[in-house]
Parts: sequence; C-alpha cells; structure tokens
Amino acid sequence: FTSLRECKMQDFGSLILEELDKANQLDSLKFAQRHEVDEQKIVGAIKSLESLGDVIQTKIYQVKSWQLTAEGKEVAANGSHEYRVYSAVPDSGIQQSKLMSSCGAFGKVGFSKAMSAGWIKIDKSQGAPVVMKLVESASDTVGEHMVLIQKGESEKVDAKLKGEYKKRKLLEEVVDKHYTINKGTNFRTKIEKAPTELTADMIASGTWKTTSLKPYNLDALGVETGGGCLHPLLKVRAEYRQIFLEMGFSEMRTNNFVESSFWNFDALFQPQQHPARDAHDTFFISDPATSDRFPKDYLERVKKVHSVGGFDSQGYGYDWKIEEASKNLLRTHTTAVSARMLYRAAQAPQFVPQKLFSIDRVFRNETLDATHLAEFHQIEGVVADYGITLGHCIGVINTFFTKLGIEKLRFKPAYNPYTEPSMEIFSYHEGLGKWVEIGNSGMFRPEMLLPMGLPEGVNCIGFGLSLERPTMIKYKIDNIRDLVGHKVNLEMVKRNPICRIDKSGTGEERRLQVLNRRWANIESKLSCIQKQMEVMGISTATAHGMAADSSDGNLMDVVIKVHPDKPPYSLQLLLNVLKKRFKVAASTHTHSSVKSAGSLVLSSDESRITADVKITLIYSNVTRPTMIVKNAQIQGEENIVRYLARILDSRGGGNLYESLDSKVVAQIDNILDRLTDASKHSVSTLIPGILTKSKYLAGNRVTIADILAYSLCKQAAVSNSSIKDWSKRVEDAIAKM
Amino acid sequence: RLEVDPSVSSVRPFVVGAVLRGVTFTKARYDSFIDLQDKLHQNLARKRTLASVGTHDLDTIKGPFKYMAKPPGDIKFIPLNQTKQFTSAELMELYSTDSHLKPYLPIIRDSPVYPVIYDANGVVLSLPPIINGEHSKITLKTKNVFIECTCTDLTKGKIVLDTLVTMFSQYCTKPFIIEPVETLINGKVEVYPSLKYRTETIKAEAVSNLVGVDQRPAQVADLLSKMCLESKVNKDETITVTIPPTRHDVIHPCDIYEDVAIAYGYNNIEKTTPKTLTVAQQLPINKLTDQLREAVAQSGFTEALTFSLCSRDDVGAKMRKKIENIPAVHIANPKTLEFQVARTALLPGLLKTVQANRKMPLPLKLFEISDVVLKDLGTEVGARNERHLAAVFYNKTPGFEIIHGLLDRVMQLLEVPLSADKSSSGYFLRTSTDESYFPGRAAEIVAYGQVIGRLGVLHPEVITGFELNLPCSGLEINIEPFL
Repeated sequence: FTSLRECKMQDFGSLILEELDKANQLDSLKFAQRHEVDEQKIVGAIKSLESLGDVIQTKIYQVKSWQLTAEGKEVAANGSHEYRVYSAVPDSGIQQSKLMSSCGAFGKVGFSKAMSAGWIKIDKSQGAPVVMKLVESASDTVGEHMVLIQKGESEKVDAKLKGEYKKRKLLEEVVDKHYTINKGTNFRTKIEKAPTELTADMIASGTWKTTSLKPYNLDALGVETGGGCLHPLLKVRAEYRQIFLEMGFSEMRTNNFVESSFWNFDALFQPQQHPARDAHDTFFISDPATSDRFPKDYLERVKKVHSVGGFDSQGYGYDWKIEEASKNLLRTHTTAVSARMLYRAAQAPQFVPQKLFSIDRVFRNETLDATHLAEFHQIEGVVADYGITLGHCIGVINTFFTKLGIEKLRFKPAYNPYTEPSMEIFSYHEGLGKWVEIGNSGMFRPEMLLPMGLPEGVNCIGFGLSLERPTMIKYKIDNIRDLVGHKVNLEMVKRNPICRIDKSGTGEERRLQVLNRRWANIESKLSCIQKQMEVMGISTATAHGMAADSSDGNLMDVVIKVHPDKPPYSLQLLLNVLKKRFKVAASTHTHSSVKSAGSLVLSSDESRITADVKITLIYSNVTRPTMIVKNAQIQGEENIVRYLARILDSRGGGNLYESLDSKVVAQIDNILDRLTDASKHSVSTLIPGILTKSKYLAGNRVTIADILAYSLCKQAAVSNSSIKDWSKRVEDAIAKM
Repeated sequence: RLEVDPSVSSVRPFVVGAVLRGVTFTKARYDSFIDLQDKLHQNLARKRTLASVGTHDLDTIKGPFKYMAKPPGDIKFIPLNQTKQFTSAELMELYSTDSHLKPYLPIIRDSPVYPVIYDANGVVLSLPPIINGEHSKITLKTKNVFIECTCTDLTKGKIVLDTLVTMFSQYCTKPFIIEPVETLINGKVEVYPSLKYRTETIKAEAVSNLVGVDQRPAQVADLLSKMCLESKVNKDETITVTIPPTRHDVIHPCDIYEDVAIAYGYNNIEKTTPKTLTVAQQLPINKLTDQLREAVAQSGFTEALTFSLCSRDDVGAKMRKKIENIPAVHIANPKTLEFQVARTALLPGLLKTVQANRKMPLPLKLFEISDVVLKDLGTEVGARNERHLAAVFYNKTPGFEIIHGLLDRVMQLLEVPLSADKSSSGYFLRTSTDESYFPGRAAEIVAYGQVIGRLGVLHPEVITGFELNLPCSGLEINIEPFL
C-alpha cells in the first residue's frame, strides 16, 4: 500500500489478518496508532471480519481517559477564571461592579474562586465595594493543569484535583472501547469479500452456484414504502358506512350544508323558542339569508301542530312565525336531511319502508375545546315502517354496535324535542372501567311524522352518534385538532393502521389471540391424528393424548432416529430427569445408512425387561429427527421434546411444559416455533435476545424451550459468553430436578 | 289582584301571579327557591325573554298591584341589594358591567317604555325582566310570598308559575294550598295559577305496539302510577290517565307511552330485529368519491381532512381574489374569524395543512376530495354543495408535471380520453389566467366541453400568503360532471 490512509475497509481487513497471522494477537488501538489511521475505521474492518464466521475472535476492553470540556479548553488557552479576575485587578484596586463588567461571563466564578484562594479581598469602607489584591503574585495552577491534560499528560495531575475539575465542568471522563483480536477457529489470511446481491451476471454465467452471498441483516428495517395514505377519520368512516350497507341501509343525500330553519328545526317539531335555535348554538347565514320555497300545505300543517296542536297533540301553544322558519343556517344535525327523506317517502303514492343512513358534517356554534369543534361528522341511522317498536330500536342499535365490537350496551331515558321515547346509549368502556355515553336514539314524534303525510301506524326510529369521538378513543387521540383540520400531523396519517373497527385491544392482547388461534389449530390437528389412529385401530387415551398413555409398568417404549450431525442433546437432559423418576432403559445404535455415530451416546444400567421407559436412539440418514411410538411417528426434535415433557409433566411432576401457566405455555410454543425455523446464526442471536429479560427463555424456570435451545446451540457449536452462562444454568437446573 | 295597563302590550304584554301563605323558609329551602327560579329563567323562559319571575314579601306591600309601562327616566326605585334610588335608565348603566344581569338588559333596553309593577302605595315591586325592588325583598323571615310572572309568551308564563307553586306549596302552613291572584286585562278578569288537570285516554294495545312489550291494561296502569301519572282502567279496557299541572311536558299520548317504557325499564325490553326488508344503496357521489380517494392515494398523494368553514381571507385575499367576486356563503354570527364563510375551494385548506407540516420531508403531496359550498340562487335554500378534488405538490421545484400527471391519471380512471383536437370528445388543457396562479403557469381543464377546474403553479404571493416559501403546484376540479 502506498498510503494506508487511503485503504478501504477490506484492505484493513486483509492487513489485520496478515499481522494477526504473525503476531497471534492484535490490539485495535495500537494497530490504529501504528498505521496512523482513525481507530473507528479499524473497528469497522473488525466488525466486517466478525461477520465472516469464526475467522477472528474479539474481546472488548474499556479505557477511561480525561478530556477537556469546552470550558476547560478555554481555560487551557486563556488561563483560569480566577487568574484572569486576579490579573484584572490593578494594584490600586477597582470597584467590584467595574471589575465584574470587565470580566464578562467568567467574572462571577473567577471572583469567588479568587476570593477563596485568598488572592483578593473586598474593601467596603469607601461605600461602594472595592476589590484589592491580597497577594503580590499568583500562579495559575488550574490553567497549567488544563494545558497538561490537553497534551495527554493527565497522569501528572493529582487524581483528587481531577475530580474537582470535573465538578467545575472543566474536565470530563470519557470511556473508549478497544478490541483485542485473536485468531478464530476458521482463521485464514485470505478473505474474499462476499457479494451482497444476486446479479444478472451471476444468473447468466451460472456463478451463483458457487457464490456465497453476504447474509442479510434481518434485524434492520426495510425501505419505507412510497405511495400515499388515506386519512384516519375517513378510514373509520368507510367502516361505519360498510356496516350500514351490510345491514341494508341506504345512504341519504347529505351534500347540502346550508339548510333552512324550517327543515332543520320546525319540521322536527322543535319549537321556535328552543335554546338550540339560539345564535349561541347555531350558525345562521347572512348571505343567502333566507329560504321561502317550502311545500305550502305541509308548512301549514307544521305551523298548526306547533301553535295549536293536532294529531292528538296539545302543541306548544305559541305564535309560530314563518320568518323564524325561513332563516338559513348551517345544518346542526343530519336529521334535517332525514326529515326531507321521510317527507319525500310520505309523498310517494304508496309508502315504501325505509332504512336510511348518513355520515356527514354538521355545524355547531359552540365553545371550542380539546374535544369539540365547530364542525363534526354525525352518523345517523333511520328505520321507518309499519309496526316498528322501541324493542326494534334497541335491537337495531344493538346489532349496529355489535358489528363495531361493542357488546355491553345500556339505554337511559333522555329528552330530545323530536323523539319520544328518547334514549341515550351507553357502552361499558373496559379501559376507563365505566359506562360512557356513545350516542342518542329514539322514536320520532307523531307531531313530526304525521304532518309530513306518513300513514298512521308508520313508526320511525332514529339513532345518531359522532364519528370523531369513537375514533379519538380508538386511536387514543386527546385533542380533536390532531385528528381533524389542517393542523393534523401527516406523520400520524402515514403511521395510522388500517381500520379494523371490531378489533380492539393492546398489542399484547392481539399477540395472545394469535397464539391462542395457533394453539387451537394444533389441538384440532392432534384430534384429527387421534381420529385417524382410532380408525387404524390404535387405542388412545385422551385428547392430549399419547403422552397420557396409561400402561402399567410399561410407560413408554420409543425409538428415535436422528442424523449423526444433529445429536439430540435435548434427550440427554430429559433422560436425566426421567431417570430420577422412572426406571429407564436407554441404548444407542448406528444404522448402516450413515458412516459413523453422532457424538452423543444415550445409555443406562437398567435392563429393558424391568424398565418403565425404554428409549432407543438410532443414528441414521434421516432429514428430521423422528420418533416412533406405537406405530405413530412424531417428527422434529421440538415435537419429541414436547412428547417426553408431557409424560414427565403428567406422570412425574416435571413442570417443564403443559403443567405450567397457560401464558408461559403459549410463550414456550412461540419460542419452539421460532427455534425450529431458526438458522444457526439466528439461534445465536435469538437466545441472548430473549435472555435479556429473564434467566430462562420462558417464565422464571427451566422449560423445554431452554432444553431445545440448549440442544440446538450445542449442535451448532454456538458459544458466546451469555449462551455459555445460560447453558450452565440449564444443566444445573436439570440436575436439581 | 294584578291590573294590567294597556301600555305594556308593546313590551311585555302578560302577567300572571299567585300567593303562597305561611311559608317556612330555611336556608336550604330559600336557596332551592332561588335555584328553581334561575333554572326556569334559563331554560323554559329562554333566558328571561319569554317569562320572568319576581317573588316578594307580601307583608311589605299592598294590593291591588299595577303592571304598566313607563319611559325609562320616570321609573325610580331602590333595586335589590342597593342602598339608593336609581332611575331605570341609570340601572341600565349600572348593570352594563354586571356579569349576571348584563345578558338580560337587551330584552327591554331599546324599548321606549319599560315594564314596571307598583303596589297600591306606589312602591316599585320589580322592573321585569331585570331586577326586583329592595323594599319587598324575600328573607328567611318572610312568611307570605307574592309571586308575579311577566311574560311575552303566556303559555310559558303559566307553565313557569304552575311549576313554581306546585314545587313550593308544600312548605305552606296548609301544605299544597295556593292562593290565586286575579289578573285584570283588557277589562277581563283571569284567575291564576291555572293548575289545570287534563286527562288522556289511551289503549294498552297502542302502548304495547309502540314499546314492543306485551302489557295488559292493568299492567300499563300500574306502570303509569309508578311514574306519578294517575291511571284507571275503564270498562272498555281503555286507560284514562290524569296529567297533573306538574307535567307540562306531556302533550301527546306518545309522552305517556314513554313513561310506560321508562317504568318498564328500557333495558328490560326485548331486543328484536325489524322485519323491514330493504336493498341498500350507496349515494353515487359518495361511492365515486371513495373510489377516487383510494386511487389518488395509490398515486402517492396523502389525504387531508380540512374544515369546511374558514375566514374570508382564506378563500379571498390569500388566494389573491376579491371576496365580493366569490359566490361564498357568509355566516351571520361567527364567534371567530375562522368561521366567516363556508369554503368555496379546497386548495386553501390544503395549503394550511402544508403550512402546519412544513417540517416533514419533501416533497409534500396532499389531496382532499370533499364538498365546497357555493351560493346558488337557483336552489331551494340559495346555496349548494359541490364535490371537489384538489391536490397540491410542494417541493423545491414546482412539479407542474406531477400535478398534471395526477390529473391525467384521474381522467384515465374516469375513462375520459385526452382530446387531441381540443373538442368535447374528452378533456384537454388550455391556457387561462387566474389570480391564484403564476402568470403563464396556469391552465383550465376542459372536460366534455365544460370547464371543470384549474391547475398550475401557485402565485408566489399565494405561497407567501400561507406562510410558505417553496414552489407549489395545485389542482382543483369539480368531479360531479363524472357521476
């Protein structure tokens, strides 16, 4: 190399290997210093060598050193604060205020330090305090020390003083990590850099057959997808819309924000003096201010029922005014549209039953706060037919909310000018632990329906809720402005999940649901196998089955076939436990299909004749470990372990698997699955990952998760310190069982 | 007796009254009495506009009482909790800073005459609906209470009086005995409180059919008795229900049915499903909107949801347009600038969303498909909604081609072909000028011979008007022609 500083990472790698070949051990710091390069580059090369498998072995060691802070550097350059204050005092003294203003930022600290060092004093005899020198000259030790430390000679400064400087924030202690490098078991000096991706050239030339690709880092995140996203609230709207459509409700034409008071209030039998019609609650329109095109005869009937009654009603007994009804406004509820739709249905030659819904904006001139805006989306459902009852109303609402995943409902009397009976809808909120109001409902008053011309006997139920409120609860949003309007955070829009409105619960609950489903799946498969076995004339005892086989004196007689490359170390552990509880006969054989036996030999002193448990291990050319038990086959080491553990748990008080808490069992199954799918590399990362939280893989005691993992680690010869410690712990725990 | 002078007809025409004898007030009862009046004033009497109550110590005043209207300067008395006399004109001044009374002043302030009640000796009882006189003030020692209730809506006045006396007559020496007061109006004498009982005859079957529970007449009568509605089953199985003067809310048999349902318990009613068979139908414009929203999001734009109300400047000045030239619907009583008009375009809302998300990685690609509101005198209410699609692209370069690409994609999805000969066979762009766009960088979109919207690079003054500093292109079209 002409210049090492221009070396690439790979070149450093080769150099490290060459030097290591000669020296047997290297130190990253010294190596970097020798070659005058940044140690970080060397560390990068080391990491890259580590990823090649066991080419090198490394050990991290830490070195603490002292470094100047920004303030410390300033002191090294200009002297200590106290020295600078001292130097600023003329022999004739100086007014304290003048001194402080001339010293600037360091003045205050410097002054008190110089005072305590006894370099200066204050004379207050003249009125205004005057600072005088107390010694003729002072030496700036602090400044000198800073210079020493800056030069890297911090050992020349007393440790106690360094502690003091640290308190003064002049110094800080930094910890550097360095590596000691040794040869690994696969040490070699030549490294070929593994290509990272499959290329068109490789496919064309066929070199892919001999090329080994650099393994992917599966723990990193993928590249973010492009594309746009839909708004969270409108995703929820789509769900509600879908539910109404599933229930046979048709969508109302609600695209008319501007409405007349007549349709918004009067048609609904809402009296003209009702507080909701106050300007404090409703947005009135100044342009176009009024409407006048109302159906004449209908208007007369509305006027009559309000002022003097009719249709069996006493009316409100007031002077109804067309001027009030003509006022335009921004609709305060979509029920204004429902009124138009019902009026239209009443005009048809023959009444056709109606099931209607809408989800659209409504407007209230309200005081705004974290949960209220001047506009929000109202969800509304209406059913009109002969013979509709309050029981139907409750039934429809119940079906609707069940589809939303809300099942605990209660109804409470309420007041609403256009419904009678009226009901507030409450649901039990598991999170808050109380009943919360989620909507309003009721049967429209005859004074509203009959003037429209709907036939006697047609009843109409209605219910409504806001779209924002349940959405805020679902997505745990506290401020409505974070959900609706221009202040919404687009990042939130992007991250928002698809809306599965009937699926609630935390991530943990959902994970358990998945595990439960998988467990149910396993059970149904087992019962299927059991049925097959029954057909084949093999007797089985219980659903969990084969493990609970109740033969007296002959608990189990199994043959296990494994490939010599994968000795079942799990069996060795389980055998130790079995031996303490039962009379166990074990023997090991080698089939002619393989050249040699595996490194594990199971044996015992018990004779097969007296033994309750008989295990025969045969090394043969099988791809997966296979256990033969009474003509049935169990495949895979994890399932063999499960089988043996069931026997131990049910007959020997083993507490290794299904006798444990169901959450732990689910956890064990999850780990067994992951281990079964894991490659050698991922086994070595998977286990330490789980172990950071606890001493054992599942729960707080040794289980078959540990036993299988132990076996896989040993087969793969994975050994790092955390796995070694844990392996020892597993062996000890088994020995104590 | 209350004598009504015709002078009140223009300001507050009616008055009703009653007397409660031998009332024993405790602190709690007194507070409750005041509270009840307050509640009635706020709700039923709609903040004293429809009716207002004055209560007086009858032993300090002498009937008959005169209800008349006089010019503000001519009414002079010591109002409640004051020590000196004020004219009613001065009182308007005094109470204009009083947070409690201030809201009621406009009810009479601009009337040439103010209503006032005098006793036989000329003592002012009250200046309705504002304040009572100090002279006849009720204290814990008061025994005999004179209640007057002036009103603009006689029905409401009667209800207020009925409610007040029915609630408080139990504290009289002879409980539930109320002394009536005559009102002499237009030469006729009316006696109040009316305390009218009324009966309603209902059928158990009708109740069962409405509520959805099977109840015999006797059971219905039982349930109604629980709700304090006296009920009796007649020979023909009908039920006669007596509605007391405390239940002015019962105006229709359905109000009685509700009481049955409440007494039965809403949560005890069996949940049933209506047999109504219907075929569901989506609103075509909403279906199209949802399909387009999906497609535009798939094209890489993120959906915004902005308010349909905004300030005049948002659609006007900030977009370099004159508000007078925009067919906007104006709101008469906005509490803040944010609710002056209904939006006439979606672009301002999108630009505000960009403004709030300036710190996000570029480019920002946003869209919204929603309603705008346009004044249109050809419609029933004089205004209509129009479904628009709008999109913006905000980046270091204007990205006209990106926005243009989105338009082409939307047209492709709507099966509108590009019309090469610029005819009405499909869509094409043509140069246009619009204040909101940079000159020479704006085009109008013509589809099937009709202008459906615009696209282009927004004018720098529009960009800076929304507190942005990078180029931005925008698109806004009406999608209703494609239904």
